[in-house]
Amino acid sequence: MGLRGSKPTFDDSSNVVYFIQIPLRGLRVPNLSPFPLKLETYLRMAKIPHESIMISTLSSKGKTPWIRHRGKDVADSQFCIEYLNKQFGVNLNEHLTKEQQAVSRAILKMVEENLYWVLVCYRWFFCDPKDLGLAQSFPWLIYAFIRRRVRGFANGQGMGRHSPEEIFQIGKLDFKALSDYLGEKKFLFGDQPSETDCSAFGMLAQFVFSNIESPHCALIKKEFPNLERYCHTMRNTFWPDWDQVLKGDASSTKL
Amino acid sequence: MGSWLSRKSKFDDTSNTVYLMQMPRGTRVPSLSPFPLKLETYLRMAKISHKSILGFSLSSKGKIPWIRHRGKDVADSQFSIEYLNKEFGVDFNAHLTNEEKAVSRAFLKMVEENLFWVLVCYRWFFMDPKDFGFSKPIPWLWLAYIRRMTRGYAYGHGMGRHSEEEIFHIGKLDLQALSDYLGAKKFLFGDKPSETDCSVFGMLAQFVFSNIESPHCALIKKEFPNLERYCHTMRNTFWPDWDQVLKGDASSTKL
Repeated sequence: MGLRGSKPTFDDSSNVVYFIQIPLRGLRVPNLSPFPLKLETYLRMAKIPHESIMISTLSSKGKTPWIRHRGKDVADSQFCIEYLNKQFGVNLNEHLTKEQQAVSRAILKMVEENLYWVLVCYRWFFCDPKDLGLAQSFPWLIYAFIRRRVRGFANGQGMGRHSPEEIFQIGKLDFKALSDYLGEKKFLFGDQPSETDCSAFGMLAQFVFSNIESPHCALIKKEFPNLERYCHTMRNTFWPDWDQVLKGDASSTKL
Repeated sequence: MGSWLSRKSKFDDTSNTVYLMQMPRGTRVPSLSPFPLKLETYLRMAKISHKSILGFSLSSKGKIPWIRHRGKDVADSQFSIEYLNKEFGVDFNAHLTNEEKAVSRAFLKMVEENLFWVLVCYRWFFMDPKDFGFSKPIPWLWLAYIRRMTRGYAYGHGMGRHSEEEIFHIGKLDLQALSDYLGAKKFLFGDKPSETDCSVFGMLAQFVFSNIESPHCALIKKEFPNLERYCHTMRNTFWPDWDQVLKGDASSTKL
């Protein structure tokens, strides 16, 4: 596991979950990628002892984040959650009805497979690089290289074939769906948070807290203020140390 | 956009007929791609006068299907539906509550941005090419070329990075969500069909009617029989001429 960067050392005899995320500490969010933020929020919600390691070593699938637990590496945030649910006897969807669990799955996929690409296209094709919000500046050559790869990915996925206006419209419809479903509720499915809240927060936080210059942020503030309220609720509940994390604290180790 | 001259002669831009550009018919489904089947089901549901033009003429976005109406070309099945809703004053979601519309959007995206890739990976990487379901076998060189291109797309999307078992598992969770939400209802949201039914049917029909040899079809029959029942309901309601269409009838012209 891991193709680039230093090799971390793990204590495979302990029950600690090593949570490896790419060092994309943002100025305004703990990670500029929604999936590490989703997974870390889940670990906090499930109260699973974990140690965050910020390193550019990617998973066996070439992505971030991944975890290591008792000598086992697991790639992909959702597979990680399924693994951890089993290992730690966690079920954050237990209180949901069958129908709600079905809706939870649908919203998870809308956020991760559709809204995610709206974010990606905005950041890599339309956003001013200085607004990326990274804690450290990006070398120009690496930025150009990643942008070229992302363009190929987005084209293959489909979102990259649309115009900026069309992509914005697609994102707007997703925000509307999230906002309408959330309504006045504290979390997506009521007063108790559930698994999909981790993913929805991981994604929305990028627009609401990080890309504050984006038209998406302005749209949320103007037309979907309950999504902004929801992000603050999730942040206050699961990330009371948000500001310390951004400054770089004991919750994560840089390799 | 394809062979312009030969295509142009097929259109009467003064009439109100909608021309639907799609691939040639499959042997067991009117289209082997879920998106043309979705769009054609929508056109039938909306009782919009339309004519299918069969061929491989791609849209401005390099995909199929696309439509032409009164001289205007619209690419992408969802943009086509949004256009036609406006032009013909159609709204299949009018009877849904705000919350149901939100759920509708989520399922649309789960099906089109996630389950779709389960289908793609199955067909292009794991399935025997003879099970494709075209009336003529795909030339080996074309198959190799498209497979290579699809591998790149699926890798960029993310699904292509998973193992066959993982992809099947991801598909199973989507099918479970659809089955649990549908329950004993006739259509997704009750006795009246809605817009997302077109997309869900377009996708499920691929597994249930076309790829009958697939483990997904076996899974649906065994664990999610209401999805099979649903496909038959949609087919009987909107495609009473299903068998004639497969044989080749007046509803479509070859390019």
